[in-house]
Amino acid sequence: MADKLLEVKDLKMYFHTRDGIVKAVDGVSYDLEPGQTLGVVGESGSGKSVTALTMMRLVPMPPGKVEGGEVLFRGKSLLTMKEDDIRKIRGNDIAMIFQDPMTSLNPVYRIGHQISEAIMLHKGMSKKQALNRSIELLELVGIPQAKNRIKDYPHQFSGGMRQRVMIAMALSCDPAILIADEPTTALDVTIQAQILELMEELQERTGTAIIMITHDLGVVADMADSILVMYAGRMVEFGTCDEVFYRPSHPYTWGLMDSIPRHDIEEKSALCPIKGQPPSLVNVPSGCAFHPRCPHAKEICRVQEPELRSIEGKHTAACHFAGDPGFTRTEMACAMEVTA
Amino acid sequence: MSKMSDDKKDRDFAEERQIESIIGAEGAEVGHDHEPTSGGVTPGGRSVSEPAIASRTLWGDAWYRLRKNKLAVVALFWIALVIFCAVTADLWVPQLFGDPSEINSVTAMQTKLQSPSLVHPMGTDDFGRDIFGRVIYGARISLSVGILAVGFTVIIGLILGAFSGFYGRGTDAIIMRVADVFLAFPYILFAILLLAVIPQEARTTIWPVVFTIGFLGWPSIARVFRSSILSVKQNDYVDAGRALGANDARLMLRHIMPNAIAPIVVYATMSVGGAILTEAALSFLGIGVQPPTITWGRMIEEGRSFITSNPMLVFWPGLAILTTVLAFTLLGDGVRDALDVKMKD
Amino acid sequence: MLRFITRRLIQFIPVFFGVTLILFLMTTVLGDPIRLRFGERAANPEVYQQLRHDQGFDQPWYKQYADYIVKLAHGDLGVSVRTGRPVSDILKETYPYTMRLAFAAIIVEIFVGVGAGIISAVKKYSIWDVLVTLSTSILVAMPVFWLGMLLQIFFGILMKKWTNGAFYLPISGAESAQFGPIAHLILPAITLASVSTAYAARIMRSQLLEVLGQDYIRTAHAKGLSGGRVLYGHAMKNAMIPVVTFIGLDLGAMLAGAILTETVFNWPGVGYTIYLAIRALDYPIVFGGTVVILFAVMIVNLLVDISYAFLDPRIRYGGASE
Repeated sequence: MADKLLEVKDLKMYFHTRDGIVKAVDGVSYDLEPGQTLGVVGESGSGKSVTALTMMRLVPMPPGKVEGGEVLFRGKSLLTMKEDDIRKIRGNDIAMIFQDPMTSLNPVYRIGHQISEAIMLHKGMSKKQALNRSIELLELVGIPQAKNRIKDYPHQFSGGMRQRVMIAMALSCDPAILIADEPTTALDVTIQAQILELMEELQERTGTAIIMITHDLGVVADMADSILVMYAGRMVEFGTCDEVFYRPSHPYTWGLMDSIPRHDIEEKSALCPIKGQPPSLVNVPSGCAFHPRCPHAKEICRVQEPELRSIEGKHTAACHFAGDPGFTRTEMACAMEVTA
Repeated sequence: MSKMSDDKKDRDFAEERQIESIIGAEGAEVGHDHEPTSGGVTPGGRSVSEPAIASRTLWGDAWYRLRKNKLAVVALFWIALVIFCAVTADLWVPQLFGDPSEINSVTAMQTKLQSPSLVHPMGTDDFGRDIFGRVIYGARISLSVGILAVGFTVIIGLILGAFSGFYGRGTDAIIMRVADVFLAFPYILFAILLLAVIPQEARTTIWPVVFTIGFLGWPSIARVFRSSILSVKQNDYVDAGRALGANDARLMLRHIMPNAIAPIVVYATMSVGGAILTEAALSFLGIGVQPPTITWGRMIEEGRSFITSNPMLVFWPGLAILTTVLAFTLLGDGVRDALDVKMKD
Repeated sequence: MLRFITRRLIQFIPVFFGVTLILFLMTTVLGDPIRLRFGERAANPEVYQQLRHDQGFDQPWYKQYADYIVKLAHGDLGVSVRTGRPVSDILKETYPYTMRLAFAAIIVEIFVGVGAGIISAVKKYSIWDVLVTLSTSILVAMPVFWLGMLLQIFFGILMKKWTNGAFYLPISGAESAQFGPIAHLILPAITLASVSTAYAARIMRSQLLEVLGQDYIRTAHAKGLSGGRVLYGHAMKNAMIPVVTFIGLDLGAMLAGAILTETVFNWPGVGYTIYLAIRALDYPIVFGGTVVILFAVMIVNLLVDISYAFLDPRIRYGGASE
């Protein structure tokens, strides 16, 4: 059987700080097939970004430490391979783009140089060849006058343009996987749509698998094949896009959906946020991490950490009551009292 | 200028920031009542362990934190010790160690250039005078020049900064231009120029040196004060106060001073070290406080001729300068750390 | 970029005049210009009045100021009270030595300071880092002339004793029969560079640490670049900008500090000349020499300011374009 493109198995990564152990990633598993898009959704601090960074070994290892699990890329273990080897994969087989394009590009190097760097390194092209390729890439991502623009510096581009440059840079070596960490958060709403559209187009063209990390359900609704919802470093729900959107099975997912401002509801209703604050990752609540904020919480939720319960097929949710008949999203979560 | 305490703070801070930046401390959140969240890691977890006895006032809090900083406490203690010795010098130095200024050729012949001993802990100089005693007397000049010069600088800086900040526009522009001119002069050069011009007879007291050194440093203080005023000027409550009839001076004292004072105190404390070094350099060159007043700089200069036979003459005054300047710098660091949280507000 | 440069140049002009005005006020108003220029020879009241008239000191102040500027522009700094030689001649002879010393000191500062700063930042909190932090704190707190003497004692006197005269360094003058000019340069250059190197190391360290925490460094790693490439390419290029600026600006302080270092080592440069002149009450030399150093400092600062425009591409090429 051919190796899967990417397998994450029960990954655990903690930070050891003087204030305690921060359980940033606490048992995350998923697979990725070529050409697929996985949406990873969660609040700030849910561990969604750290999981990706851990995979790429971009987390400083003190204070971080992998406490368990493995990550296999085409059957090879990313976490244990030599530094030289993983460097060959970074930017080459697996590329990553980050949230803030303003600060993610080096202000003192020209754009052409920054894009060419990876190409020259991984593909062995000469400077001239690499620059030509950079021009092609810039045109691909929709930057006009690419030939002139490669001589420009990052500050000479607008926010949206810069993110396109980042995408160009990431795709320069035809990676199998593109990890996009909140690529649109720092951009204007109108530009957001453009960038997402661009990414979809490029994916169709190149067949790259995408891991889209975001806090915004709306972003992944269109693009994602499967969705992973994270909370407090743990997996909370996983399933195909349809499954998660039409049959959400975890109270947190319900909360996320409730809190999206809707313009299609007739009555004017107040915004419905999830009560409470995300937990400190040093002091994760006992049992189910979500129980202090869950309107459906019972005694068992406080005591025992829920396993991923299968709802149907690959659709799972980490709740003691997930999949139980009748345990569905009825009232708006905010209308209910928190009983924990 | 970062020091050990700074590094420790850097360490904690950097660690938190590192983790925060990886996990993500900001960004719009889904499902929140738009409260600012801390992203899972509680930064500044140290504050949780603060005992309940910490006082609530600005200065009480700062003093408490300062006391916990061991380096700063040692520095403060050292400075206090030196000040005490210098101030009380007349009471005990001549009695125990002989007259530090005396030039008596008879005793000199017998006791000159001795190595450190129990009687003379730092040895004697070429006139047979006890070096330790002279170092104590030298402290008087260094400390008084250092502190007075900085005091002078602070006064000028506050006044000009106040005019600049409060009256704005033209006054501000002029004062800032003049500040640029002053900033163009390196300390030593300006001091040499000014002191060269004052007749030698007038230079036996410390005042010419005090004013010379103090005259130059005001731009930094003025800038700090001015920006404090400017930032407060924009705040509403100053306008409200004005509406209620409070006059300008009162507003300033009440609202601006607490915020402005902190950085000025830190800067002033650290400047004393620089002033002491400048004074020593001027004395060394021979253009500072004139003989027969004892200064550390001149002790070093006079000891130069004996560097081969008895380096102690040069060593001790220099060590005195080093420790005193270091103490003021460490104290300044400590004060800055202690006031830091307040300053960030 | 041109705007930046012209702005700086324009800002320089009032400062230049301000400085000359202060110098002028010092010599004519604060001190006694006749006495300063002629010393003892002007003790006689009649001679004094005569000189006063000759020198034009009974003219209105603005005319005096204009004369003063013209004289400065021509390099006329007066004549030595003792020898009667023009101050500018004396300075012409001695400034090459100061240049040599300053140049050597900057080389030390760049290699040792920047190097120590880099190692300190890369091996954060290691023993090396602690060592650098400690030593820089101490260096900055000690009088530079005392440091020079300590070096003299250790390398010149003690080492000579311990090795029975086999190995030691010269501690006085610029050359001698025994040692070539380079050997004489070692200790003074290290002394002059010491304080600046300490600051340079500090700044390099903090700048590098700040840069290493930036997002674009993470991007560089994510592209698969090696650690060395990231450090020396991406990180240093950013971190060096303020460091270069600092070294340039510090040159001014170094020239000023040369006065002390040259004195300790009897190095025959401008600083030493000033020192001897102070001792000899030869004020025209004191004033002239100091003024020359002052203007050198101001010009270097201006050049460094302007160079910033070339170093930082954000200033070199304007703002954003679609």
